[in-house]
Amino acid sequence: MTTGVLIFAFNNEHIDYLAMANWSAKNIRRHLQLPVAVVTDQVVPNNYFFEQIIPAKPYSGDIRKFADQDHNVTWYNGNRVDAYNLTPWSQTLVLDADYVVASDELKKVLVMKENFLAHKTAYDVTNQDNFNEQNYFGQYNMPMWWATVMMFRRSYEAKLIFDSMSMIKNNWQHYKDLYNTVHPTYRNDFALSIALNIVNGHAIVHKSIPWGLASLTPENKLSQINQDTFRIDFFTQDRKPRYIILSQDFHAMGKKHLGDVIAS
Amino acid sequence: MLVNRGYLIPAIGDIYVKCANKLANSIKQWHPDANITILTEDMLPYGKFPGYVNDWQCYDASPYEQTIKLEADMVCASPIDHWWDLFSNRNVVISQGCRNFYDQPGTSRYYRKIFDNNNLPDVYNAITYYQKSDVAKEFFKLVRDIFENWNSYKTILKFPDPEPTTDVVYGIAAIIVGVENVTLPNNMTPTIVHMKKHIINSIDDDWTKELILEYTDPGIRINTVAQWGLVHYHIKELANE
Repeated sequence: MTTGVLIFAFNNEHIDYLAMANWSAKNIRRHLQLPVAVVTDQVVPNNYFFEQIIPAKPYSGDIRKFADQDHNVTWYNGNRVDAYNLTPWSQTLVLDADYVVASDELKKVLVMKENFLAHKTAYDVTNQDNFNEQNYFGQYNMPMWWATVMMFRRSYEAKLIFDSMSMIKNNWQHYKDLYNTVHPTYRNDFALSIALNIVNGHAIVHKSIPWGLASLTPENKLSQINQDTFRIDFFTQDRKPRYIILSQDFHAMGKKHLGDVIAS
Repeated sequence: MLVNRGYLIPAIGDIYVKCANKLANSIKQWHPDANITILTEDMLPYGKFPGYVNDWQCYDASPYEQTIKLEADMVCASPIDHWWDLFSNRNVVISQGCRNFYDQPGTSRYYRKIFDNNNLPDVYNAITYYQKSDVAKEFFKLVRDIFENWNSYKTILKFPDPEPTTDVVYGIAAIIVGVENVTLPNNMTPTIVHMKKHIINSIDDDWTKELILEYTDPGIRINTVAQWGLVHYHIKELANE
């Protein structure tokens, strides 16, 4: 059995996801001792290293505004549903390029018996946002699973989940109407949540990674203190400046700040 | 002679009789041998009183030693016979809290202001268990007293409703007999799926205009999600389906 990490990296006008993936791959090897395959449409520079490079064309993405970007950016997020078919590994950890691996905590996910796991709950590391808006979607507050970290084994169940995600993506207008989503943009998190409901007999019962997804919202400033320690500067709700020190895995939702860390 | 256990569905008025039949049929789909009594106006042992006042008559009207009384405008979406084991060590159990159709606890207090303003327990009479006992008899006697003397009782409440509702009356009665005597600890009681606008965040009061309802025979799905337990659909027109 082979185990490895799969990262999708499709650059847009302002965000260098391939550089993020390369930076993340080093952290993954150091903490998880796993090989990394990257799915990209870019020519990989000689000074980058991935165990496998999987060329793919990005699905035309939507335009999205991130709070830490001055401009709207094109969001190439449509390929994630192909993870099952693209991965070279029999057990795969799919990670967002902006997921920072700063510990070996994902090793615990790899030894779990389930065929498919993802986070069901994310939380704001600064504790300023209750994330009620982020952990549910649509007018009726469907509970959301996060596609940021997905572990799957080659299995009928995992294939069904990805096939369902693909079906949902291809019929997004229908599902957007059904769940009455405020924003029309397709998101992998939405498709994953709907797919898990379908595959589990239309019941919201799928097991999840047994801890929350630590998340850093784009409004907050990220800087690196040392290799696995980061400083988060933020404002409290009454506008007082504060910071915390973070030495754990987290999802850097603000791409610009992470980009600056990687470039420094 | 009393039959040991059964479901009692009060149905005063034609539309509630239709609702009760729909509920009874849905219970029978899961439990073909269940004892079910639809309590219609002509069966009230002390005759019909106006409004919701008749609820207290359910104690004497029930032909069962152990009764699960259910509101009529609900549908049974999964097996519920394990409730008997949960309830039967108590004399009275009133359900507390509610859920949305995603099986998440209902958090809106929009419909429960009077409960919060008066520190009443968050009881829902939609699912009420009782067995023939002094405690249950006393409880329903109190329910009658509160209904019949609402003008006096409401003077002790902040922001009271002009007319008594069964949930509020049960809440007051629960405080008088001791909440611990007529409820189970929170999260232990079955709760209804409450399809009211502020619980499910629907745009319209009539959720059937915007959500997909499927009958899976047995069971139902709402917006593709399989339901379990009792679903309080509250849109009475669904009883005609």
